[in-house]
Amino acid sequence: MALVEIRDVHKTFGKVEVLKGVSLDVEEGEIVTIIGRSGSGKSTLLRCINALESVDSGEIRVEGQKVHAGMPDLKKFRQRVGIVFQAFNLFPHLKVERNITLAPLLTGRIEKAKARALAEDVLTRVGLADKIDAWPEQLSGGQQQRVAIARCLAMAPHLMLFDEVTSALDPELVGEVLKVMEAMAKQGMTMILVTHEMGFARNVANRIVFMHQGRVWEQGPPAKLFANPETPELASFIASSK
Amino acid sequence: MNFLPLWRYQNQLIDGAIVTLELTVISAVCGLLIGIAGAVALKGRITQLRWLVRFYIELFRNTPSLIQIFIVFFVLPTFGLKLPAFEAACVALSLYFGAYSVEIIRAGLDSIPRSQVEAGACLGLSGWQVFRHIILPPALRNAYPAVTSQFVLLLLGTSLASQVAADELFHVAGFIESRTYRSFEVYAVICAVYFAMAMSFKALFAIIGAVAFRWPRRR
Repeated sequence: MALVEIRDVHKTFGKVEVLKGVSLDVEEGEIVTIIGRSGSGKSTLLRCINALESVDSGEIRVEGQKVHAGMPDLKKFRQRVGIVFQAFNLFPHLKVERNITLAPLLTGRIEKAKARALAEDVLTRVGLADKIDAWPEQLSGGQQQRVAIARCLAMAPHLMLFDEVTSALDPELVGEVLKVMEAMAKQGMTMILVTHEMGFARNVANRIVFMHQGRVWEQGPPAKLFANPETPELASFIASSK
Repeated sequence: MNFLPLWRYQNQLIDGAIVTLELTVISAVCGLLIGIAGAVALKGRITQLRWLVRFYIELFRNTPSLIQIFIVFFVLPTFGLKLPAFEAACVALSLYFGAYSVEIIRAGLDSIPRSQVEAGACLGLSGWQVFRHIILPPALRNAYPAVTSQFVLLLLGTSLASQVAADELFHVAGFIESRTYRSFEVYAVICAVYFAMAMSFKALFAIIGAVAFRWPRRR
């Protein structure tokens, strides 16, 4: 059984059908990168996986459990599925430590006495142990995004979703975030990313999924997909993103 | 001009000022709680409750507060609810301050981007936890300047309670004036007292704000 099973998912916003029957499996430990033009439905698909959006038809299962906004243990489910956003979404009124420890403490995952050690641990993994007492606003975009990743890691998720996490960053800050993600990939974290970073997609991902017009248009290992795209749409996308 | 005859009334003036402060602080705290609850209700899903809150806001913002105090003091007793002057004024002023607070707090809540709610929900927090820990603190910060200026209006508005004979500053002033016939002097003094209290509160709020909202503003 795959960790994530997506079966014939449809999703409409108003009159626009964003997802037109998407099916996709992601195995445990796999790093899947979703690429495609704006409006191809890739972010929506990602948001459906942790029930930020509900699907109109079809179904999504994570660890065998059917995912939807009204699922009985939605909170527990979301503790197992981390998501990192394009805009970081750190809590501006909480210091880095509290940003990280708030959810583990409130959900009863850890005790108060162990909170700081947990924050130190996950911050070390993203290379920001020295920023534990900083306010989010005192950090650069790249640092904020790494804290956001650390905040997810503190929940020890089984699966992590990344929604264009480097798109809001200055070019010189992209590398530090990708490096953290690469390290997580090496440690065996199951990851689904929506990204425009073709270099990362090519070098780190096990599989590339090309979405086009609300469908999975083409997918496969990066080397094959980038070298020999089967569809003209992918070929032109690759050409345009070089 | 002669301020000397007022000297022997200094204890009454101090007592009046204390009652004014009590009236203001009690009404502000109760009103603020009404404001938070009302703002939550306005953003909630229960349509009837939203209508009720809207009706309350419009009712109290579009009628004279003096009449609101009169109604609580003179009219409610006919329905069996008899309150002393001070308590009646507290109730009326709390409702008055609450009506303005609802709108101020609601604007504060609206100023927090949806993405913050999503980020909290995605960490597995409950709706209440997201509200309490993620939405409310920054919302209160954004609402804070408006709340504090409304507070000063409330402080000045407590003088209306004199009309139901609550022993606050303005009522005491009327009493002293009737004894001394020193209208200008009496009102000059209590004006100065109101001014000093308002300015002191402003300074106090600046300090409280600096302590409570320490995180840097968005660049």
